[in-house]
Amino acid sequence: MSRKELLVGALSRKRASFSKGWYKFSRNPLSVVGLIVLFSVILAAVIAPYITPYPEHAGAFTNFRESSLSPSLTHFFGTDTVGRDIFTRVIFGYRFSLVLAVVVLGLSTPPGVILGLIAGYYQRRRIEIAIMRITDIFLAVPPLVLALAITVMLSPNLFNQMMAISLMWWPWYCRLVYSITRSLRHEYFVREAELTGASKAHILLREILPNCIAPILTKITLDMGFVITVGASLSFIGLGVQPPRPGLGTMVADGAKRLPAEWWMAIFPALAIVIVILAFNLVGDGLRDMFAVEEV
Amino acid sequence: MAKYIGLRLLQSLFVLFGLSLLIFFIARVMPGDPARVALGSLATKEQVQNLREEMHLDKAFPVQYYFWLKSVLHGDLGRSLYTRRPVTTDLKAYIPATIELILISFLMSLVIGQVTGVLAGYFRNSWFDSLSRLISYVGVATPAFAVAIFLLLIFTYVLKFSPTVGRLSLTAAPPPRITSFLILDSVIAGKLGTALEGLRHILLPAASLAVANIAQEGRITRTSIAENLQKDYVTAHIVYGIPRWSILFKYLLRPSLIPTVSVMGLAFAYQLSNAFLVELVFMWPGFSRYAVTVMLNKDLNAIVAVVLVIGVAFSVVNVIVDIVVSFLDPRVRLQRAGG
Amino acid sequence: MAQLLEIKNLHVGFRTFEGELKVLNGVDMVIGEGEKVGLVGETGCGKTTTVKSVLRVLPTPPARITGGEIFYRGKDILKMKPGEIRSLRRGEMSAIFQDPLAALNPVFTVGHQLRDVIKYSSRARHGKHLSKKEIRDRSIAVLKETGMPDSERILSNYPVQLSGGMRQRVCISEALSAAARLLMADEPTTNLDVTIQAQILRRLNELVAKRRPSILLISHSLGVVRNLTERVYIMYAGNIVEVARTKDLFADPSHPYTKALLKTVPKLTGEGISQGIPGRIPNYLNPPEGCRFHPRCGHAMPICKKERPALFILGDSHKVACFLYRR
Repeated sequence: MSRKELLVGALSRKRASFSKGWYKFSRNPLSVVGLIVLFSVILAAVIAPYITPYPEHAGAFTNFRESSLSPSLTHFFGTDTVGRDIFTRVIFGYRFSLVLAVVVLGLSTPPGVILGLIAGYYQRRRIEIAIMRITDIFLAVPPLVLALAITVMLSPNLFNQMMAISLMWWPWYCRLVYSITRSLRHEYFVREAELTGASKAHILLREILPNCIAPILTKITLDMGFVITVGASLSFIGLGVQPPRPGLGTMVADGAKRLPAEWWMAIFPALAIVIVILAFNLVGDGLRDMFAVEEV
Repeated sequence: MAKYIGLRLLQSLFVLFGLSLLIFFIARVMPGDPARVALGSLATKEQVQNLREEMHLDKAFPVQYYFWLKSVLHGDLGRSLYTRRPVTTDLKAYIPATIELILISFLMSLVIGQVTGVLAGYFRNSWFDSLSRLISYVGVATPAFAVAIFLLLIFTYVLKFSPTVGRLSLTAAPPPRITSFLILDSVIAGKLGTALEGLRHILLPAASLAVANIAQEGRITRTSIAENLQKDYVTAHIVYGIPRWSILFKYLLRPSLIPTVSVMGLAFAYQLSNAFLVELVFMWPGFSRYAVTVMLNKDLNAIVAVVLVIGVAFSVVNVIVDIVVSFLDPRVRLQRAGG
Repeated sequence: MAQLLEIKNLHVGFRTFEGELKVLNGVDMVIGEGEKVGLVGETGCGKTTTVKSVLRVLPTPPARITGGEIFYRGKDILKMKPGEIRSLRRGEMSAIFQDPLAALNPVFTVGHQLRDVIKYSSRARHGKHLSKKEIRDRSIAVLKETGMPDSERILSNYPVQLSGGMRQRVCISEALSAAARLLMADEPTTNLDVTIQAQILRRLNELVAKRRPSILLISHSLGVVRNLTERVYIMYAGNIVEVARTKDLFADPSHPYTKALLKTVPKLTGEGISQGIPGRIPNYLNPPEGCRFHPRCGHAMPICKKERPALFILGDSHKVACFLYRR
């Protein structure tokens, strides 16, 4: 076969496996809904200044004449105590949440994965024990607690929050990849690679890692929602996005003081949080279905 | 079996030791002068210096750790800079409230979660299954404080069903402190009315905590049951004539419980860490709220103690979960015993 | 002999991503009272699907019965209510499967599972509620019958603790306790060691001789079937292609597939390694039109590509689904 034919063959196989993957993903209509919602949210967050009615409200802005207005056509979600449009602030708030999720997972996944690969591969050597014990220590405490503690130690703002949560997050990936690597360690294809003199890096990255990609991807998607939850919870007690910036958790906390009369101040940001997390979860589930091996 | 438990406990001890080092290190490394923070900006330099000496803050890190460890082993967790009481007193005051909350929440999530899970798994793809799936999706996606707020809005303000704050309304007289568990104490003291009041107060906070767990456990049980329904041994059971209810609630439940129990450790962790959100919203005088306050106030001794308590609780629960799993799944047990 | 089981023109399909797999394409089978019948075919030809259809344990979301009837003692199983089928399973018919480890619940002891089977089947069969002691005694007795060493101790073991042969003996005990008239053994020894295979088959034979159920012995091995059955069905790709009395089949195989199968059995006379049958089993998504064997058949005629052959009568109890034999 000519090189061109080989390439075309490979591409069409990729397309075929992609469309089969999409089929499995779309079997659950909820996953598709989740995907649409997710795209919408991300899009809205990215072009926030252009689509929100009052972009200047997403910051230090006061207009006491228009404060505490209930939802209306001019202010979809109403206004808060200093007169800022809540709808606008929610959309801008999404920016912080999404950035948080991306940064945290981007920072914590690579080290976690690499450490997991190393620990799982070099079994029964000191390095495995060292890595896993450290992981255990980090996992001994629920993530929120430790993130809380660390954020508190430093001054509360979004950046520190991201650092703190990232520090908490890598052990989970380490453990996940560790257990997969361990079980694959003695498979034939790994042994073969060792015997033919492949470098350790090659074995880890080219042989073992591809087998971990599916669970890692699924976990990342589900974790996005989880990270946003943690971030919102921290913001709720004032440790995240600082006012006057619009953090979703912060907005809920502020609004909580105004229940039940001015319910919109708390409810809409809360709903916004739920929607984005829900979208991530649905997509994550769909990914899990997509990667699942079918039983005949 | 005993050897296994012993090993796990030893492991946990080691992990806790490492944890204490970690948190101690972080606490000491952070910027700011804890003594200054404790005394406020009006204190004189002398007073601050005295406090620093008292807290060993001027000594090297290993020395500080040594002093701290020594007093911990004597049962002294130091003095809270914020409440001015020994930390242990604070803990004793607040932990029971949180335990009560978590226990009731756990019970709720267990019962509701398992029942919905089994039914949803059996009646796969029915309307019940789809509905519970939808609810559980939303449940998992809603952070605890959001649940608390939604529930608060609906049940307290709109329906006027539940009270808003605290363990007991301000006018009620609390029962004598026997176990520090309010509801239990009320029952023991014969004050059933108070017990009922306590129950009413605990309902909403416990439910807020429970929602995410119900959603999670329900889904896992459902998936587990649905998966196991496909297993060959279920076909065999059907072929050999075992009745459906027996297959569902005996032969299927036990293997399906295994993943649920494994997750229970995480569920407990979730409840432990999110309790503070609920406690804040409902003004529940519990340990988590204390933990958060203490952290926000950079109360060193208390922070370290709090993190340790959580670590201990978590480790204990994990060990228990492991033991229960090996009890449920004989394969694990036999593996451990080398069989 | 009265007909115990009669399968008529059974069609079963499986729905998948790519389409519907038309697995069973009109299966016809008859089993009489007390008869010992064999069913031979390659892996994937639909043998297990047939068994599961009779017992009504097909996983009905992906699978569905698209046509045909199954008569058990004159009544159509496919039209029966669930309650009726359940009592059939508890007292009249049962099956033994290929993988005994998969067929036993891993988290319950073997004794526990066997006792439950005995409990419910005796209730269904005789309306009797046996006492705990009686059930236990019976379980030990039936295990002993299957040749299980140390039956009493085995009861408290978990499936993982037993060897393959022992597990299969447990399954046989369960099947015997639940079946009085029809026992379907789906490749009962394929997963076992060769030495154990012979033992189990011999035991099975003895038990059948003693209790006299009808037995349907399924295998992909002609040798196994030859010794233990009176009549044999040959199945290919969801169709019965030949049926005859066992000795007639081996003496005078008629269908091209049967002939090829028999040739593939290596002979000790050293005539050389057989070539196997050229071609592959059909794709059930788009099975060949007409006779499903025609692409691999050396004698294919134009009509074979268009029509599916019925079972033509060759002789006494000997039928072939092949146009070569149409009169």
